[in-house]
Amino acid sequence: MTITSKAQRSWAHAGAMAAILALPLGVAAPAIAQDYPSAEETLDWTIAFGPGGGNDIMARTIIDILTKYDLYPGDIAPENRAGGSGAVGWGYLYAQSGDPYGISTTSGSFVTTPLQADTPWQPEDFTPVALLATDDLVLVVNGSSEIETIEEFIEAAKASPMNIGGTGTVNVDFIVPTLFAQSAGFEFDYVSFNSMADQTTALLSDALDAMVGNPGEILGLIESGELRPLVFSGQNTPAALEGVPTMGDVGHDIGVSMPRGLILAPDAPAAAQDWWIATMQEVVETPEWADYIEGNTLTPTVIYGDDFRVFLETTKNGFEEVLRSVGAID
Amino acid sequence: MDIFGDLLMGLSVAITPINILYLLAGAMVGMIVGVIPGFGPSAGLAILLPMTFGMDPIGAIMMLAAIYYGAMYGGTITSILLNTPGESATVASTFDGFPLAKKGRAGPALVMQAVASFVGGTVGVIMITVLAPLFAQVSRSFGPPEYFLLALMGMLTLIVMIGQHWKLGLISAMIGFALGTVGVDLETGQGRYTFGSAELIGGIYFIPIAIGLFGLGELFYAFYKGLHKTGTGGIVQYDKEERFWPTAKDWISTRWTMARHSVLGFVVGVIPGAGATIASLMAYSTERSISKTPEKFGKGEMAGLVAPETANNAASSGAMIPLLTLGIPGSASTAVLLAAFLLWGLRPGPLFMEQNPELAWGLIASMYLGNMALLAISIFAIPLFVQLIKVPYRVLGPTVVVICTLGTFSVNASFVETYLMFAAGIIGFFMRLYGFSPAALVLALVLGPLAEEALRQTLTISRGSFMIFVERPASLWIIGVTIALLVLLPLLNQVGKSAGQAEKAGS
Repeated sequence: MTITSKAQRSWAHAGAMAAILALPLGVAAPAIAQDYPSAEETLDWTIAFGPGGGNDIMARTIIDILTKYDLYPGDIAPENRAGGSGAVGWGYLYAQSGDPYGISTTSGSFVTTPLQADTPWQPEDFTPVALLATDDLVLVVNGSSEIETIEEFIEAAKASPMNIGGTGTVNVDFIVPTLFAQSAGFEFDYVSFNSMADQTTALLSDALDAMVGNPGEILGLIESGELRPLVFSGQNTPAALEGVPTMGDVGHDIGVSMPRGLILAPDAPAAAQDWWIATMQEVVETPEWADYIEGNTLTPTVIYGDDFRVFLETTKNGFEEVLRSVGAID
Repeated sequence: MDIFGDLLMGLSVAITPINILYLLAGAMVGMIVGVIPGFGPSAGLAILLPMTFGMDPIGAIMMLAAIYYGAMYGGTITSILLNTPGESATVASTFDGFPLAKKGRAGPALVMQAVASFVGGTVGVIMITVLAPLFAQVSRSFGPPEYFLLALMGMLTLIVMIGQHWKLGLISAMIGFALGTVGVDLETGQGRYTFGSAELIGGIYFIPIAIGLFGLGELFYAFYKGLHKTGTGGIVQYDKEERFWPTAKDWISTRWTMARHSVLGFVVGVIPGAGATIASLMAYSTERSISKTPEKFGKGEMAGLVAPETANNAASSGAMIPLLTLGIPGSASTAVLLAAFLLWGLRPGPLFMEQNPELAWGLIASMYLGNMALLAISIFAIPLFVQLIKVPYRVLGPTVVVICTLGTFSVNASFVETYLMFAAGIIGFFMRLYGFSPAALVLALVLGPLAEEALRQTLTISRGSFMIFVERPASLWIIGVTIALLVLLPLLNQVGKSAGQAEKAGS
């Protein structure tokens, strides 16, 4: 199936090439732009993680919006190609170099997996469409703690080093508090956990002093007063965390977030990239998208095209530097 | 909300036509998995796990749980009719179950085992209903130090309970621990034994290992023993009409047996690492030692069948307690159930019931219904399962190989994991042949990384001091209970095992 469609596609390309050669250049370029996306072609949408995860939910939300508003003319075939923390799925997309019909959504592992394993691809290899949102973190202490504000926290941490829990090591959970502590001038011991539930349990049992986490996952405990939020790492505090300052507000902006965006295969035609940028501009205006952002407590941060590539590169370099300085990668 | 309110809410979640259908399907599959010798709930669950993709989480988990406890019902049918336990927790049921069948009382034996299973299972669920919220409350004071100690307790209990072959069990556990070290080190983020492979970053997933060891390994062993050549002519025929129902004496003489072993079995089930097999052996030996007619045991005494049957079902309920409230599996099959929860993005633990009340109480409510369904199935569908026993191994064998391969591949669509499954199958065969313990390996593979992480978290928090384990009251309690278990369990186990061996020698 795939082989046939690939063959048809390259014939189509050959046809387009012939058209370019036969016609004056000025006429040919818009012809390609009108060709994309063709209703005949199935969009091969790679989801690099299993069903139910954050990446899967985002991909399927976008697909639902595209379908509902009739933004994409052809069929969309979403497929979960999980494995190796995204290496398998994005490796699959990497292999479709030049194909305008291969697409995927990114998440944190898009930056961290190539730092950890010998992937043939790097984040900047792909054709960037847009950064749509970022995952930011909130620093919380136990609701019964004596620490009420971030200022008190910093002061206490300077007096005697605290331990802060987070999920994983090659991850924003580690990088955010590290950069924040460097800026605010305190030291801490990072304790890494496998899941949010494990670290929350540890914090509630008073084994941990504090932890960082995605607000969406602990909102219930914050509302019930069992956890107390101190500071938020994003640019704007989400509505659910009203009154909590951002790291920028307290003078320690760190500028690191997990990118949730959209990419095409490497070297995809400019026409395809432009079409997707224009389309995503419509997607992010829909009420469904607003619901998704709110429901998952994401920070809406939208940048397009090559700015997204620069963002990815900056994020990757920032991660690499911090992780190398602590010996997490070599 | 009080328990009844919670339970009613759970019932309303569980009683939808589609969920009932999933529950019945799970119960049927559990019976089938239980009936097929050498094919226990761990392998059955692991293989069927991928089939639940795309299902609603509540339905999926209700179905998988029904497979888990349903296997305890099915396993006894072969114990009684064929003197071959369908799975390890029903070994004790052969001691008196088969003699009963030989005496021409197969019908009453089958009915009584179904009733005993139902009583054990239902009392177990009632105890879950009452105790799980309490446990969840207590476990909120548990942090990394306590988790480390609990994982340690689970492994020590398992190894101690293996008994005289504990050295082989220890070696099996060590292999599991070694496999558990593969993957990215949580603390430093460095890859361990990944050889640059992206597939190994996340470590060796235990599902393919469990499918290989329990599914293929057992199958290879069955072929080695020549099961495919021997027919199943050994089935004891039973009277479907006149002498099918138990007599009044059967009921009266075993009513306290059921009550006793519902509680005892449940308690043993709660202990991580103990579980249904141990509960059933212990139940048999205690029942015999308090019986007025111990000389009748092993010759077809109804109480000798009812005791282990009640206990193994109560224990399988009990094992849900640490799973739901701590997220710690006590056995290979509860480890697969845990994997099912994780697959749906649900992390069982102290906060689980509070944060997912619909799912938690829906599951508990479904277990009441599931046990009722299983009671009905195991009384009225016995002829169906007897037909299943007659399916020759030369048909069953290739089917199992295909299901194992497809099941493994469909979890992550990974070739590496499929190869690992076949390797585990071969290793599982040799482990079985030389008396090693595949269950210890799988449990170590799950608990090993958990223990390692918890220990390192603990020592980071305490800045390298081991005193943290005695400074926290919860830790001290766990240490106390672990020491008590390590002293008491071998004694009880010895009694259980010797009773079992005596029966084997006698029959």
